[in-house]
Formats: sequence, C-alpha cells, structure tokens
Amino acid sequence: MEKHKNLENKGMSRRRFLSVMAGAGVVGAAATMTGCRPVSDPSGTGWLPNQYQNASAIPAQVKGRVPLDPSNVSLVRNDEKCILCGQCIEACEKVQSVFGYYELPVHDDFICVHCGQCSLWCPTGAISERSDVENVWKAIQDPQTTVIVQTAPATRVGIGEEFGMGAGAWAEGQMVTALRELGFDVVVDTNFSADLTIMEEGSELVERVTAGGVLPQMTSCCPGWVKFVEYYYPELIPNLSSARSPMMMHGSTLKTYNAEKLGIDYKNIVTVAIMPCVAKKFEASRSQFAGLEGGAGKYYNDDTVKDMDYVLSVRELADMIRGKLGDIDFAALPEGQYDQIGSTAGLIFGNTGGVMEAAVRSAYYLITKNAPPTSLYNLEPVRGLEGIKRASVNVPGVGDVKVVVASGLANARQLCEEIKAGKADFHFLEVMACPGGCISGGGQPKTAVPPQDWVREARTASMYSHDTAGVINGSAAGAGQKETAKGSLRLSHENPQIAEIYADFLEKPLSHLAHDLCHTHYEDRSGSLTRKEV
Amino acid sequence: MANAVVNQKSVLVDLTKCVGCGSCTVACKLWNNQSFQNPQTNEFENAHGVGVQLDSNTWTTVEHKQVNKDGQEVWRFVKRQCMHCLEPACSSVCFAHAFHQTEQGAVQYDPSVCVGCRYCMIACPFDIPKYEWEKVLPSVMKCQFCSSKLAEGEAPACASVCPTDALMFGNRDEMLAKAHEIIANDSRYLNHVYGEKEVGGTSWLYISDVDFGELGFPTNLPEKSIPDNVHGFTRFTIPIFAVGAAAWTGVSLYAKRRHAVAHEGHHAEDHKSEE
Repeated sequence: MEKHKNLENKGMSRRRFLSVMAGAGVVGAAATMTGCRPVSDPSGTGWLPNQYQNASAIPAQVKGRVPLDPSNVSLVRNDEKCILCGQCIEACEKVQSVFGYYELPVHDDFICVHCGQCSLWCPTGAISERSDVENVWKAIQDPQTTVIVQTAPATRVGIGEEFGMGAGAWAEGQMVTALRELGFDVVVDTNFSADLTIMEEGSELVERVTAGGVLPQMTSCCPGWVKFVEYYYPELIPNLSSARSPMMMHGSTLKTYNAEKLGIDYKNIVTVAIMPCVAKKFEASRSQFAGLEGGAGKYYNDDTVKDMDYVLSVRELADMIRGKLGDIDFAALPEGQYDQIGSTAGLIFGNTGGVMEAAVRSAYYLITKNAPPTSLYNLEPVRGLEGIKRASVNVPGVGDVKVVVASGLANARQLCEEIKAGKADFHFLEVMACPGGCISGGGQPKTAVPPQDWVREARTASMYSHDTAGVINGSAAGAGQKETAKGSLRLSHENPQIAEIYADFLEKPLSHLAHDLCHTHYEDRSGSLTRKEV
Repeated sequence: MANAVVNQKSVLVDLTKCVGCGSCTVACKLWNNQSFQNPQTNEFENAHGVGVQLDSNTWTTVEHKQVNKDGQEVWRFVKRQCMHCLEPACSSVCFAHAFHQTEQGAVQYDPSVCVGCRYCMIACPFDIPKYEWEKVLPSVMKCQFCSSKLAEGEAPACASVCPTDALMFGNRDEMLAKAHEIIANDSRYLNHVYGEKEVGGTSWLYISDVDFGELGFPTNLPEKSIPDNVHGFTRFTIPIFAVGAAAWTGVSLYAKRRHAVAHEGHHAEDHKSEE
C-alpha cells in the first residue's frame, strides 16, 4: 500500500516506462517466434462424404456435382450447403441424360435444360430455384398494376404438402383463397390455357396427319424437353408442335384478349405463373416471348412488353403464403373460385400421359365431329409412371393413331434416337422432362428426397380422380369472360370460355392471330455443345 | 534445404475437361474447415466464378474465363491453388522454417512457427500465399496439398471429387507421361505441360487447348528454380553481414577509444587551469 502510494505520488519515470514497454515487446516477440500461439493443424481435418475417403486407387463411383451457371435463370446453388453427395449429377446424367452426353471441352454454355430435378434430389437444399418472390411482392404492392396469376394443373396437388397435408392432397380452392389473400387481383387457371393448347396443338396434329406433315408430332408444353431437343436433336425441331406451352399462351392472351375484356391497359398488367416447374422461369425469359417477337409485344407493336413477367415455383408460393399469412391452417382455408375455368382434360396435363389423353379426346372430335367413345375418357395405356408408354387409338376415317408417351429425358432420348433412325411408326409423342410429369416437377414441394414413386402416385391419383369426377371449379367470369354453368367438363373443346375466345378474338385454331399469340418457333442450340454419340 | 521427398505425387489438370462445377472448391472448404466468407468483407462468396481470387479462407478457386479460341468465344475454367514447386521459393526465403516438403512433395506450411513476415508472399512466382489481414496475429495461408490424405495414399480432397476426371492424381513421373501421351494423341492440345519445367518443376501440372497466358498463368517464368536462380547472390548474404558487422564494430571501437582519449586530454587541461 505504501509502495503503491509512493508510485502514485512520484509517477513513473520515463526511463522506467520505456524499459517496461521494451521488455514486454521482447517477451512478446520471443513468445511468437518460439511458437506460443494457437496451433492449427496445417493439413485438413474436416469432413468429406464417405465415398471420397478411399485410397486414390479406388475412385468414387458417384463424384462431384452438376455444373451450374451462376447466371442460370432457373436455379441457384448455395455452396455453403453443398456436401458433394453427387445426387444432383446422378439425376442430371442418369435420369435426364443431360450431363455426360456432350463432349468436352465445353463451348460457351453450361449445358442445362432447367428441369430442376437436381434441386429435388439435393438433400441439403443447396440447389434451389432463383427466387422471384421479391419482384412479385413489388408488383402486388404497386397500386397501378393489376397482377394476374395463373396456377398450373399440378400445383393444386402439391401446395398442400408444404402445409402438412398428405402427399397429393387436393388443395385447389385453398390455393385460390391464399392467392387472393396475398393480393393477386385476378386468379386464373392454367387448365384454361391447357384447353386452348389442345385446340391449337390438336388441330396441328390433325393437319399433319391428314395433310401429310412432319410426323411424329412432338409435344412442346415442357420447356425442359424443348431445350433438350434444341441442344441434342435439332434435326427433330420440325417435329415439335409449334404450339406454345399453356403458360405462354395464357400470358399472351391475358395481356391482349382479357386486358381488353377487363378494360385494363396491358402496360398495367403483370402476369405471374405458379408452376410446379423451374424450367418455366427459363421459358418465360426466352426471346420468343418478349418484345416484338412475343405475342403481346407483336400485337401492340411494343418492344417493352413480356408475355409472362414472373414465374414462381410451388415452393416459392408456399414461402409467400407463410411470409404474409404466417403459420396458418392451410387445409382449413375456405375454398375459393378461379376467375376463369378449365376442363379436367386440361387438369390432367400435369400427369405424364395427360396431354396425350386430353389431346386424343379432342382430336377424335376434331376429326370425326363426334363425341369420343368412353374408352378415351380413361386411356389406361398412357397412364402411370412407366418411362415409355405406347398406345394405339382407332379413329374412324383415319385408322389407327399410334401414340407414345415418355417422361424422364433419358427415356425421351431413346425415342429421339428411334425417330432419327427412321424406326418410329407412331404419330404423336408426348414428352415431359420430369419422371411422372409435372406432378413431380422441379418446382414441387420436396416431400420425399430424393423424389419417390409413392409421392408421385399419390399426386397422379389425386389428379385422375378429379378428372373422373369431372367437376370444375367455379362459374368464373373474373377475367372478363362470360359466366359459365357449374358442372362437369372433361373435354377441352367443350369449354365454353374456349369457344368464347375463338368466337370473340382468335377466330379459329391456327388462325393468323392464333399463330401470333399461341404459337412459337425454336432455336437450334446444337452449336452450344458437341453431342456425344450414344 | 534438405529434400525429404521420396514419393513425389502430382495432380495433372486437364483444362479441356473442366466443366466449372466447382466441386473441387467445395471439397477444399469441407476438408479444411474453411468458411465461405470473404475474410475482408465478411460477404458470402463462392470460390468459383468470374474473377474469383484466393484468400486466406480460400485455398483453391476455379475461375470462369471467357476466352477466344479460333475466333469463337468459349468458356474455360481454371483451377488455381499452390503449385507445390519441387524447389519452393517460399520455403527458401522463410527464416522461421515454416515451410517444409513432405515425403509426397506437399509444400506444407506450419502456421505455428510463422512470424508473419510475408517474405514467402513476395517470393512466390504464382502469387499463392495469402495473409490473414483480418487477424491480430496473422499467419500466411495456402493449399497444403491435403498432406495428411497424401500420406495415407489418398488423393487430395479436390482431385477426389472431380466428376469429369479433369484432375488426375498419381506419381509425378506417371502424370507427366500421361500428359505427354494425351498431347501426342490429340492435336487440339498445346504441346506444353505447364509445371513440367516452370521454376524447376511443380507438383501440379496443367495441359490446355488455350494459351496459358490467356488463362492467367504467368508465362515468363525461368526454367531454373527460384532458389537456384538467386543462390548466386544470396549466398553472399551471411559473408556481407559478417563483414559489415565486423567493420561497424571496428568503427565503433575506434570512435569510443577516440572519445575516451579526447576526454582524458580535456580533463588534464582542466586540472592544469585549476592549478
């Protein structure tokens, strides 16, 4: 105490201060030099999946991950979550035959058909869709704009799973209610534009069959499949139906026909699509659907307009619902009604074989002018999860129409090779990139990881049972069209609102205006890769 | 430096086979427990993409490069990491002996003896070692060639995960032979195995169909190793210092003595005047 007082009174001399500091410095430097610092193992001690923990003489069978362009419009990857399990590359190569089917070196492209199966297989959620949620919120909050949302067929058997409902649970009405709660102004159904697609694509098929066009005709609803053909089979582009996908037909007709019906300036309309798919994000960004090349752009001679502004996956919609409505009891939401109607033929577009079945029903009518026989209401041979399904339908006046259905692009590849080799004896080929069709699309909830058949089967069954019932949602007039009687509607060509759009606007299938708004063209992308011969 | 390498391992990088998936960069982070945060900005960053750079958290990168190949713009993906020179310059300049070569030829860096002088960063011809600028007691950081995996006969983490076999691992003589075989059998490749001769040879070897300079590799490197190259004058360092020290000691002693003599003389004069 005494000493301390002394020090306080006297203060520390300059000499003493400097020597204390110098001493501390020397001790510190010595400690550093002799290694008194946190020791870190210089070589890694972290973690790698088991398959890589082998002697280098035993290489892993499943290695790495898919290449993904950082600017991919459909998909993003968070490297922090990636564990290099190799599931994405398995899906891409084995299920879709995309990765590994081109020679290296690459040209100027990360080869990707945007199907998003990798995101479904990814066990850690490292791969997910590129989110458009912020943009959609902005559009909704803008009082100037009318936001029109469409929901794809398969969304209504997927969305419930995000909220604890069982696999394949039917949640159509709840989804419509939720969309209105979120602030979407008009809620329409892609089933409607699927009906429109049947009219256009079916008429095209009838024309090809009767007038001797390029056969087999291949469906063009699936943007993953379309890009696959553009990359790997450009010689088959003439086989692709020129019909746009339902989503893109809807985009262009909403901004033209329905805008006029509703009396809204097309510039104030924002179109949003809820899709079970992430390739639809890519499709919406294609140059064929924007500006003067696009439907609405050409119609108004306006190069700033896009047919489809934003595409959200079912998972993104669920995020929006949770974000705005919180932890709700989704199943208990009241069942809302669409502002436009679609037949249940349009509904089954979400299943593999569904487009074919819907098309056959209406093609039969378009050719014979008679109602299709009851067997066509339940075309069993094209239903189910089998990768390649073949069927033959007798149409009076034409004979046997042979149809083939494939899902999973590796299966589609076999059929492309068949066509290329001149061995294809069929007239119509339906392809959906994702195994099982859109019900198991890359934008659906990840109810089972990796995707499993029991989930696919539950969703498929849910769709077909509603087709069998045939009852459609609503007597919708919210999109400016006539109100319709509530009832059964299992044929696309019997949809009264389809009849209305042709009578008022499009004239007839394959008309000049229909060509601008409901058809498109494709680009040869084979220069982006060197195809590996298989 | 005594060379303890008995079983020189190598990775042969075939740049034409890289698809830019970045698996190797993720494997490096997983195995070495490194975060994806840029240590300076704390921003999350992937270690692959356009313009990526090595940092103290990122020991390997895959840079996406758009280059002109026969009049066409093409993508090439360039993996960067320590080249693990056969005669490493970093090691030769390090007075703390923080660098040493393992039996498999990994140029291993031991941060526990590093004093943080950064000589290695200046010496490295490939600009590999990165400093932990954000730390109070910073070390230098770089790829360790997964030396513990190599010692077990395993490939380094990055090479073990490559889905296209763009990274091939093996003994250096075998990898060199393989590189020359690939080049001989495919006219698209340039007849140059980068790393075979550069700065005396490196453990990592590259083959490519696009000019290495365009892909960002230093192309003006001597074939002589850097320690060899500078030995001609650095060997005089100790003699020069010894001579210098001796000279200054001499000057100092002389000056002290002169001062003492002058002081004594002065005292004598003082005494005289007092008398």
